[in-house]
Amino acid sequence: MEGNIEVLKGAIALIGYGLAAIGPGIGIGIVVGNAITAMARQPEMAGTVRTTMFLGIAFTEALALIGFVLFFIA
Amino acid sequence: MGEVILASETCDVANEVICAPADVKELFEFEVIFTVFGVGITKTIVLTFLAAFVVVALLYFGLRKRQLVPSKFGSAIEALLEFVRDGVAKDVIGPEGYKYVPYLTSLFFFILVGNLFEVTPFINFPITSRMAIPAFLALVTYVIFMFMGFAKNGFRYLIDTIWPMHVPIGLRWLVGLIELVSVFLLRPFTLAVRLFANMVAGHLMLTLLLGSGVIFFTAVGDIGIRALIGVPWFVLGVAIFVFEIVVSVLQAYIFTLLSAVYIQSSIQFEH
Repeated sequence: MEGNIEVLKGAIALIGYGLAAIGPGIGIGIVVGNAITAMARQPEMAGTVRTTMFLGIAFTEALALIGFVLFFIA
Repeated sequence: MGEVILASETCDVANEVICAPADVKELFEFEVIFTVFGVGITKTIVLTFLAAFVVVALLYFGLRKRQLVPSKFGSAIEALLEFVRDGVAKDVIGPEGYKYVPYLTSLFFFILVGNLFEVTPFINFPITSRMAIPAFLALVTYVIFMFMGFAKNGFRYLIDTIWPMHVPIGLRWLVGLIELVSVFLLRPFTLAVRLFANMVAGHLMLTLLLGSGVIFFTAVGDIGIRALIGVPWFVLGVAIFVFEIVVSVLQAYIFTLLSAVYIQSSIQFEH
């Protein structure tokens, strides 16, 4: 019985991490997509856009990272 | 990879379909090799010192002779240094950024070497996949940007963060709360976890894919033609191997870039 509950906890944590990854996934898609559009329109700005894109990705990723840590804690 | 093969000795490939290692921790925790003054020295600690030594050696031999036309190795090191100085420090922080170039350079090189240990033959272990190292590096960045924020702006740094005057009064407490948690807690936390998570995921993927490939190949005598199952695993493992080189460089760059951004946002604290 005890073992079953442990397994169930792990499975729920896994589902929780999966849910936490949805939002950042969509967000990173939007960030990168718009960065590609910007680079295609103004190739001379590609360097600045790329740096800003990585920043945007890094900030968007934060929620997925929190989910990842919660998965380990649970 | 050696660890998984050790684990596979208890697994009968001929009968069992899935061979899972008993505990995934065995990939990241090593036994004490020898003890110095009561401190157990493991593979991770040895590799940490090796990484620091490699960084010093790279910079020393790369920049030892200053020539008008540097050697190939020297110009490669110079290009990396220039990338950190101009691409990160100057672009992000501005003219004040030159002060932080030594810190950002050591950060970038140490993380780069530590990450690339993941794909170095015979080492195959990224030291940044142990939480202690990214956590300490993030803590150093945290101390720097907190100290500079309070040194440059005084106590206004804290007050303006939790009570931003440019936000309408009704939402000010909410924005202040989010900003407080995000600036003072989540920034160092995500900085450390991002590097850690990427390296753990990479190391796990490489070990599992290449390890299962090798296990199937070595069991060819027992399971015959079924050993071909190992081929797609091994091919995928090699593909991920190349991808992990990119991830290693990218994560070192992102850690340095975010450190610079955090420092910039605390010394030029004007919304």
